Amino acid sequence: MPRIYFKTADQYVEFAEGEEVNVLRMAIREDIDVPWQCASGNCGTDRLMVEEGAENLDPPRRRERARLGELVDEGYRLACQTYTRGDATFSWDPDQVGLDDEDGAGGGARTGWAGTG
Amino acid sequence: MAEMMSSSEFRVALEQAFSGTMAKDASFSRAWATGRLHKQHFVHWATNHYHYIGPFGDYLGLMYANTPDHARDAKDFLLQNMYEEELSDDRHTDLLIRFAEACGGTRAYVQDRNNAMPFAKGMQGWMYYVSGRENFVVSSAALIVGLESQVPSIYRTQYPTLINKYGFSEWEAEFFDLHITSDEIHGERGYQIVLKYADTPELQQRCLHYVREAADMRFAYTKALYETYVQPDLGPWIEELEREPALVG
Repeated sequence: MPRIYFKTADQYVEFAEGEEVNVLRMAIREDIDVPWQCASGNCGTDRLMVEEGAENLDPPRRRERARLGELVDEGYRLACQTYTRGDATFSWDPDQVGLDDEDGAGGGARTGWAGTG
Repeated sequence: MAEMMSSSEFRVALEQAFSGTMAKDASFSRAWATGRLHKQHFVHWATNHYHYIGPFGDYLGLMYANTPDHARDAKDFLLQNMYEEELSDDRHTDLLIRFAEACGGTRAYVQDRNNAMPFAKGMQGWMYYVSGRENFVVSSAALIVGLESQVPSIYRTQYPTLINKYGFSEWEAEFFDLHITSDEIHGERGYQIVLKYADTPELQQRCLHYVREAADMRFAYTKALYETYVQPDLGPWIEELEREPALVG
């Protein structure tokens, strides 16, 4: 059974073989403390570093690419915009806020974050 | 007399309540997903959809007013949902009209209620009724679980077709992209509200009844779209049609 490992919270969620599931939805469903705000790809609060399983994720669409910019190339995804059909591991900064709420908007996602492993 | 279900049993029952009549399986959705619709059909779809979901903020507002203060998380969810529909970014109905315009329609045509089917007006009236008259848990089950949570399953099939078969740009089809993901989260939050606050067997059963009714309403509405606008061009929908080459025009 495939599973999403939310590394920062040290929790995982399993889902049925053959399904494709939204990463944030699974976190909310299991009460896993992934930071999020708008769930529409606008705020960037739910950006996650993909540590493993990038090949199982659907490719980012326009809204996510526009929000994350070069962070996509650095391995970040927005949990609300990402679907997975297999194993994947994600980490994040537990204190992160929206990209526009940080100093140096857009490039601040990595500031002070040592949790990408 | 029904017994109180556990949270996990109730969730499975809610999921099963609409699984047999999901709108993604209705003829209009199947014709869409297999690349058979013409742009004029999409204008009609957008016009009817506008009158079905255009007042969604109204529906949520009525539900908000019916939600007691002690259910603060439910009230906050409804308020956030309303904000996201109307103000957080592009207004959702504006994205719908953008799509209609890409298909050759106009804002005035889409917004003119006279251009909507009776089924769309019935759908709108049903949603006003449920949101205004029912217990907030029941209306959450109907509108959020029964209708809104279906959206990702519909658009996840239809969106790639819009881009790859019908040739729309991602910008033109943004309405669908947005709802694939936002309604995943709204749907999940809706489940949480219903699982938490349907705290009697009677409320659980009433939620299940309205989820079934919501699914039936949306299925019938989607089927009517085909029969009203597509059938005159393509004939009655039969599954065998899906195995023939698509004729996109």
